[in-house]
Amino acid sequence: MINVKNITKRFKDFEALSNLTLEVPKGEIYGLLGSNGAGKSTTINILLGFLEPDSGESFVNGINASTDTNNARKNIGYIPENVNLYPYLTGIENLDYFCKLAGKNYSPKKLSEILIECGLDFSATNKQVNTYSKGMRQKVGIAIALAKEAKVYLLDEPASGLDPLASTELSSMLKKISNRGAAVLMASHDIFRVRETCNRIGILKGGELVKEMDTSIVSTEELEKIYIEYMQT
Amino acid sequence: MLTIILNEWKILVRNRAIVYITILFILSLVSVVWMGVVQNINQKEIQQSAQKHIRSQWDNLKPMNPHRAAHYGSYAFKPISILNSLDDGISAITGNVLKLEGHVQNEIVYSEASQAISLSKFGKLKSSLLLQYMIPLFLIFLAYSSISSEKESGRLKLLVFQGVSFFKLIFSKSISIWFYGLFLLTITISAQTFLGVVNQEVLYRIALIFLSYACYYYVIACLTTYFSAYLKDNTSALSSILATWIIWTIFLPRIWGNSVEKFYPLPSRQDFKATMKEDRSKGIDGHNPTDERREKLKNRYLKEYNVDSLKQLPINFDGIVMQEDEEYGNLVWDKHFGSNYAIYKSQKKLYQLSGILNPFASLQSLSMGLCGNDMVHHLDFLEKAEKYRRYLIKELNDKHAFGGSKTGNWKWTVDETFFKSVEGFNYRSPSIYEKIVHYIRDIFFLMTWMFVTTLLLRFNINKNNLL
Repeated sequence: MINVKNITKRFKDFEALSNLTLEVPKGEIYGLLGSNGAGKSTTINILLGFLEPDSGESFVNGINASTDTNNARKNIGYIPENVNLYPYLTGIENLDYFCKLAGKNYSPKKLSEILIECGLDFSATNKQVNTYSKGMRQKVGIAIALAKEAKVYLLDEPASGLDPLASTELSSMLKKISNRGAAVLMASHDIFRVRETCNRIGILKGGELVKEMDTSIVSTEELEKIYIEYMQT
Repeated sequence: MLTIILNEWKILVRNRAIVYITILFILSLVSVVWMGVVQNINQKEIQQSAQKHIRSQWDNLKPMNPHRAAHYGSYAFKPISILNSLDDGISAITGNVLKLEGHVQNEIVYSEASQAISLSKFGKLKSSLLLQYMIPLFLIFLAYSSISSEKESGRLKLLVFQGVSFFKLIFSKSISIWFYGLFLLTITISAQTFLGVVNQEVLYRIALIFLSYACYYYVIACLTTYFSAYLKDNTSALSSILATWIIWTIFLPRIWGNSVEKFYPLPSRQDFKATMKEDRSKGIDGHNPTDERREKLKNRYLKEYNVDSLKQLPINFDGIVMQEDEEYGNLVWDKHFGSNYAIYKSQKKLYQLSGILNPFASLQSLSMGLCGNDMVHHLDFLEKAEKYRRYLIKELNDKHAFGGSKTGNWKWTVDETFFKSVEGFNYRSPSIYEKIVHYIRDIFFLMTWMFVTTLLLRFNINKNNLL
């Protein structure tokens, strides 16, 4: 579902990605770990079609993300670090608006169901977003991605700033999405959250994928140790 | 596109500050239009009553010599347009009344102040002040962050990601802000239409006024959104568009206006009067002075009536001389004032060219013109007033010459029956159809600006800057 093949991306003298190759099959949640500037967001932005790689190719559900961006985007649900919604609109109105932009027209009942499925309380769905916490906005963000019925989900630091309960809810939501057959790529530097949520992990350092492993064979402590080792070398 | 526009409006309506400002705007606009209409109606009544009074004085003149009546003169009233309440243009400077009399041509037009193309319009609270300055400024404040705030909040990525193209998003936001301008404009124009006395000609003009302002608001909305999308942050976008607005409304009109006056200079009042006087006495081309002309005329009439002296003439030669002098004066007038009028027209045309750089200049010119209060309409009035003056004086001189008196009999009088038979000055303002040709440049430049700003949105947005 997600294929990144030998991608290199430079910003002037800085090499953000160096010959990166990774694959996320259907039903898998892949966690990209790395410090700031490791290339996590660059990878996501290339898959989103917001950046063009200097060399290499990236595919989303078999569609080239650089040359056929619009079609590739139709297959992607994207959740940024900070989901900034329209503060004067309610949760439902925000979801409705973003769905309509994506060409999806849902009834208010269906919109409400999607929001509730993403963990938002029914009472909150009709409140203006300026009363929402970050976690609640994040849930609306997930609902926007989910309503798109995407095959691939890209998340850039989705748990940043969330309280533990909201983070746990986010993890279970992502698992639910992957169980439906979607491929999820999540960039983060939260080792614990990545270990809890993902099936596979890749550690990025200086734009290179230095380590890949299954989460089933590693505990959080071991993962933390490995991560720090790689960061220090 | 409709989804984005509706969403923008929904957000606008939910923002209390904007709702309060909008209500304030609506109240201001309606009250200014209402006050303008009331003031107009009062002025019109005063003018009509003055016109009646002047005519009644003329009709009831005591028996007097026609030449004395020529000096008594009359007045030409320029009808006050109901659209004055929208934009009074230069009428405040040029005035609406001219004194018409023998030997003397109307002078009010020759004041420097009559070239109001470069004058400040901040003096009076008219709808035009709100429509030309305040509403665009408010549109700027609404639009400057329309894209940059989406960019700064990161929401733009999410929007684009839903499948909306940059152009569609930016253009829809421009259109929604433009609609807001149109909303305020519609209220103003509707108030004007319902409160004022409207006939078909006024309706045509109102429709064109609406379209002109609509074009200008489109330019403002698109350009501000363009800055918002093109520049990196809100501050840069706001300072750039405000700088543009200040250049358009304050600096360029003055700089261009001064340049126009330098390029097509008018003679000073003193020089103008001195040259006229000289031409009047010595002849237009420096030959044929008054005495020579009078002598030739006398010989012509003596020959025509086959008599030896003026006393033998069956007509009053004094009337003939006065009319001849008047016609000679008209030639002098046509030469000098014609030249001045040509300068005014050239100045106007050159000023209109500033529309290439400044759509505000085109809008202002159209607004004044469509309200019937610009130089084009004023010159029309002056030309017709002068035509009437010539008719009036000719009637009086002809009566003096052929009415039954003899040369030298200055005590001969005519009674009110004659005065009543002289037609009054009934000026009909030109229809916009007759004058629209004078505003083609303004229309063309406004439309070009619309086209250019749309192209800017379509082709000159750097996606990398946006994301």
